[in-house]
Amino acid sequence: MSAKPKDGQHGANVRFHQIGRRLPRTDAPGKVTGKTKYAGDYSMPRMLYAKVLRSPKASATLTRIDVSKARAMPGVACVLTAADLPHRVMPNDIPGQTGKDRLKTDNQILVKERVRYQGEPLALVAAESLSIAEQAIQLIEYELEPFPGVFDPFEALKPGAPIVQGEDNVVATHQVRKGDIRSGFQAADVIVENTYKTQFIEHAFLEPEAGLAWIDENDVVNIRMSTQVIEHFRFIADALGVPHNKVRIMGAMVGGGFGGKEDITIEVYLALLTKNTGRPVQMIYTREDSMFGHGKRHPFDIRLRTGLTNEGKITAVQAEITADAGAYVYLSPYVLLYSVTAIQGPYQVDNVHVDARAVATNNMYTSAFRGFGAAQACIAYEQQMDEAAKRLGIDSVELRRRNFLQTGDSIATGYKVDSAVWTEQCMDKAIKGLGDRPADEGPIKIGRGVACYQQSYGRITWLHDTSEAWVGIEVDGTVVVRSGVTDIGAGQTSALAQIAAELLGVHLDDVKVYHSDSAVTPLAGTTTATRALYMTGNAVKQAGEAVRDRLVRRAAHALSVDEEIIVLSDHRAYDVNDPDNGIELADLVALCASEGIHRSELVIFKAPFTDPIDRDTGQGRVHPDYVYGAHAIEVSVDTETGEVTILKSVAAHDVGQAINPQAVEGQIEGGTAQGHGYALTEDLIYKDGILVTPSFSEYLIPTSMDVPMQVDSIILESRSGRGPFGAKGIGEPSLTPVAPAIANAVADAIGSRILDFPITPEKVVRALHHIA
Amino acid sequence: MYPNFELVVPTTLSDALAELSGDTNTVTPMAGGTNLMIDMRAGLTSPEKIVSLSSVADFGQIAHRDGRVEIGGRTTISDILYANDMRVLAPSLHESAKVFAGQMVRNTATVAGNVCSGSPAADTVPPLLTLDAVLTLSSTSGEREVPLSDFYTGYKQDVRKSDELISKIHWKELPDNTANSFYKLGLRKGDAITIVGVAVLLTINGGVCQKARIAFNSVAPVVKRAIGAEAILAGQTLSVELIDKAAQHAVSESSPIDDLRASATYRRHCTGVLVRRLLNQAWQAIAK
Amino acid sequence: MTVQLNINGEESELAVWPNETLLAALRRYGYVEVKSGCEKGDCGACAVLVDGAAIDSCITLAGTMTGRTVTTVAGLSAPEELHPIHQAYIECGASQCGYCTPGFVIATQSLLDEISNPNDEDIRVGLSGNLCRCTGYVKIFDAVKQSAATLNQD
Repeated sequence: MSAKPKDGQHGANVRFHQIGRRLPRTDAPGKVTGKTKYAGDYSMPRMLYAKVLRSPKASATLTRIDVSKARAMPGVACVLTAADLPHRVMPNDIPGQTGKDRLKTDNQILVKERVRYQGEPLALVAAESLSIAEQAIQLIEYELEPFPGVFDPFEALKPGAPIVQGEDNVVATHQVRKGDIRSGFQAADVIVENTYKTQFIEHAFLEPEAGLAWIDENDVVNIRMSTQVIEHFRFIADALGVPHNKVRIMGAMVGGGFGGKEDITIEVYLALLTKNTGRPVQMIYTREDSMFGHGKRHPFDIRLRTGLTNEGKITAVQAEITADAGAYVYLSPYVLLYSVTAIQGPYQVDNVHVDARAVATNNMYTSAFRGFGAAQACIAYEQQMDEAAKRLGIDSVELRRRNFLQTGDSIATGYKVDSAVWTEQCMDKAIKGLGDRPADEGPIKIGRGVACYQQSYGRITWLHDTSEAWVGIEVDGTVVVRSGVTDIGAGQTSALAQIAAELLGVHLDDVKVYHSDSAVTPLAGTTTATRALYMTGNAVKQAGEAVRDRLVRRAAHALSVDEEIIVLSDHRAYDVNDPDNGIELADLVALCASEGIHRSELVIFKAPFTDPIDRDTGQGRVHPDYVYGAHAIEVSVDTETGEVTILKSVAAHDVGQAINPQAVEGQIEGGTAQGHGYALTEDLIYKDGILVTPSFSEYLIPTSMDVPMQVDSIILESRSGRGPFGAKGIGEPSLTPVAPAIANAVADAIGSRILDFPITPEKVVRALHHIA
Repeated sequence: MYPNFELVVPTTLSDALAELSGDTNTVTPMAGGTNLMIDMRAGLTSPEKIVSLSSVADFGQIAHRDGRVEIGGRTTISDILYANDMRVLAPSLHESAKVFAGQMVRNTATVAGNVCSGSPAADTVPPLLTLDAVLTLSSTSGEREVPLSDFYTGYKQDVRKSDELISKIHWKELPDNTANSFYKLGLRKGDAITIVGVAVLLTINGGVCQKARIAFNSVAPVVKRAIGAEAILAGQTLSVELIDKAAQHAVSESSPIDDLRASATYRRHCTGVLVRRLLNQAWQAIAK
Repeated sequence: MTVQLNINGEESELAVWPNETLLAALRRYGYVEVKSGCEKGDCGACAVLVDGAAIDSCITLAGTMTGRTVTTVAGLSAPEELHPIHQAYIECGASQCGYCTPGFVIATQSLLDEISNPNDEDIRVGLSGNLCRCTGYVKIFDAVKQSAATLNQD
């Protein structure tokens, strides 16, 4: 048993006390008993209730808005339109830590003149009751003149198309020029070309956006908020025209995010209304508000051309990627970048040529969603592998095996991966986990598919990402962690507690994590980009180690032994060779306290800092590191009705080091269900920019009757990641391979491929030529 | 966002009927309310007075005697699902209960309410049609019986007067050698709006079809029986070819539309597939 | 109108509007453990027990609750105790963001009340009105089975 937990590459004989154990999470009891409060569960005396008036049209000019009747209604405290906010904008760029200039992508908070998407806010109302606010909304009079709109990115690129953003609707471009694409294709014996199309997806977190804002006696605007990012306080301050240190965001436990609570949603509305009225203001979105209230997953059109030799070696990958950015830029440039970085797949390819653009339309704006462009890329490249295998007459698993990227190989942007790349092991284990293949029965055909992936963890390296954490131990031996991290349900805070418990020799229950307060908890950065464990876990680990080192030094002195043989475990510090020679942790801490030995530490952890990649070649480093894995699926397809049932689902991911395997499984199982919906049942349908699937009756996420009873989660631990104890991440990786694996399984079952998502029963029937 | 209305919660059927016999333009009964509440919130309807049936005594009984099965005006979908007898007394209705919305809606929604909703997608109706269900309509003036197959007169139109309530639904016990089933096709397996729903009933003796019932929802403006298809089977010796013919005819008796969820072409195709499949399965089940 | 009912073991009198939902009334009276996810019966987050059966409080009128017994997720057990269903959800890791959990716990109780030893199909059917976006349902299935096992022991 090692005295000190080791991290890094060598981990075969590491023994942990807390890390790696399936402990019930710290946040579980509050959630299952209903004690945990979410942002909409708080109220204050004299609180006002706020509602948003939204444009029913997708593309229009607001020629008139008259709020006089609404303002005059008894019980209405405040009505705001753009006229009341003359120079204010809503920042929608990526929040950064370094204070560097953001892209100039800000949009109007309330419509001044031009409506660019259905649901764009026209006015805000705050009133004494929700009912009065709703009635006041009805009293606002306005006129919208139709304005020519465009609803398809390819249409938006045509000369003469209505302009939604910029000069030509192109809001972002990226390109990759790796190697020599011409010679790459010349070396190919076959060229496989397909265009894969994906759809708008809704996050469908169960908790609609909610918050409560108030202005206190120090003129601080406080916002209790359901958000993935408390760092938005800076943007909110800018939008209000107040100093940054006078806006405080207190994140509540978040009822689901998935990227949909990554941008600013209602914070600015709450801040404006509370500043204007001087009273607390609560805003809770209905589900319908939520459909219009945050950016969706980008639909992608990926034209992929792959050159391979007859032996199955990929010689060239060429991609034309077009993403629908919707009405405003938001995080489109970054989503596009991720897709470009990922499009080579977890394969070794010397020649890669990518042209990618994000195009504005009058559809709902699109932004962050778990996978962030790399998921869409995987849908293309993993289906392409199966198509290539079919074309070459090589088994699709074998084809992958002949091409896997290895440690030291370069990805599409030329960056050489230096952590473990265990894709092949993951693939083999996932497929093996499917077991024996059942026989077809009548019209019911069985199909199997696998998908492998590369998904980044950690944010773009030229954002100079950092995360701070404070760890301290109290004189009674209990532990405090202070971190700005937002907990969006994956166990972000519990993982930090588990790390602190490991390092300081206590149990999970002995650690209290105070989190998500932009004024008093050290800022951890966003809970996005599969970065929370990597960044904040490392910060907590380093802070915990600093405290631990001081405790161990003092204990060694007290016990007259060397530091290297001191173990902190079970509330004691003791000699690993002579456990009876020890001191109670509380006594040790009290000793340290009385001697002025620092019982806490504040750490800033820094991700690798780079400069942006080359604009022309797309070469350079984009991310700190990558996760690799695979997912295998078995389906049955009723070839008469087209219904697809998932029979078996096996995931295998190298997460580096699982902090809590049960939590890792939870992410895998949840990602599997989201991938299921992505491939088969979910579709946000806009007809000329009008949403025709505005509720959970039309937008169908999988139910308990749709998913298989179990998902096998095979967790591999290479301990080669940059996170604490060699961890990588699982938040986004757990979703990325699922939809393409399902698509591959369906194609296997029916013998042909449906190239546009979702794969509905009707599309299956059409692909089988049962109907015209 | 709900309209303002007066709410009364009578505790006896006669009180409820009395409340409904007032100004009938603006009074509406509410059984489970699972449709009405959603319609009101969406602004599709604004009653001025709602008569809740949730507390009406003795209104939800299931009874089975003298060869007759009877359910009450407040019998819920869950009552059907959890009543073990129903697997035998009304197999297709029991199957529709399993795929009807989710548990909470099933605990609240009533069979009578589903019948009255007039929705072309109402899932209890094809099963009830195959059972030759009869509705008892009650008002302050008394009771009358209306076979379910005569109840609908058009899209969201039926013969229930606005002062009437469905107080009972009954059907005869199924004879021996009868199979009765329902299949719901939706875009997902749980809690989905039906794209094509088919219920069939066959009674077969000595290979000859004594009775055939075929009913479908979501493929016409009203839930209906495919009477022409039934006639092809009735009195005939069953065969795969005859079932094919009946299935094809059933398709011609449907009139689905294109909508958000599916095209008319796909719905017609699946109507044929499901009618054929369910009939074949029913035939095999009896043959065993 | 006023409604007299029992909420979590306490006789209560609520002043409600005729058009007020049970969800809105309960939250207004401080029972914020009852969550709103869709307001139209699609998601089950708002589920509470009424006379032992789970219903969607978002599509139930508060005014129809006279004489009823309403139980929220917090009322399944005494305040400082854990009901076996609470315990099972904790141990099985069946709650991630937790927002859907109150509704699932209620639906679980109601299901087990009807079917004390549910099979896989019973569980899937019983929970089909509760949407979860985080867990993929797998550990929720485990929690239901564990709850059934524990409750059947008693």
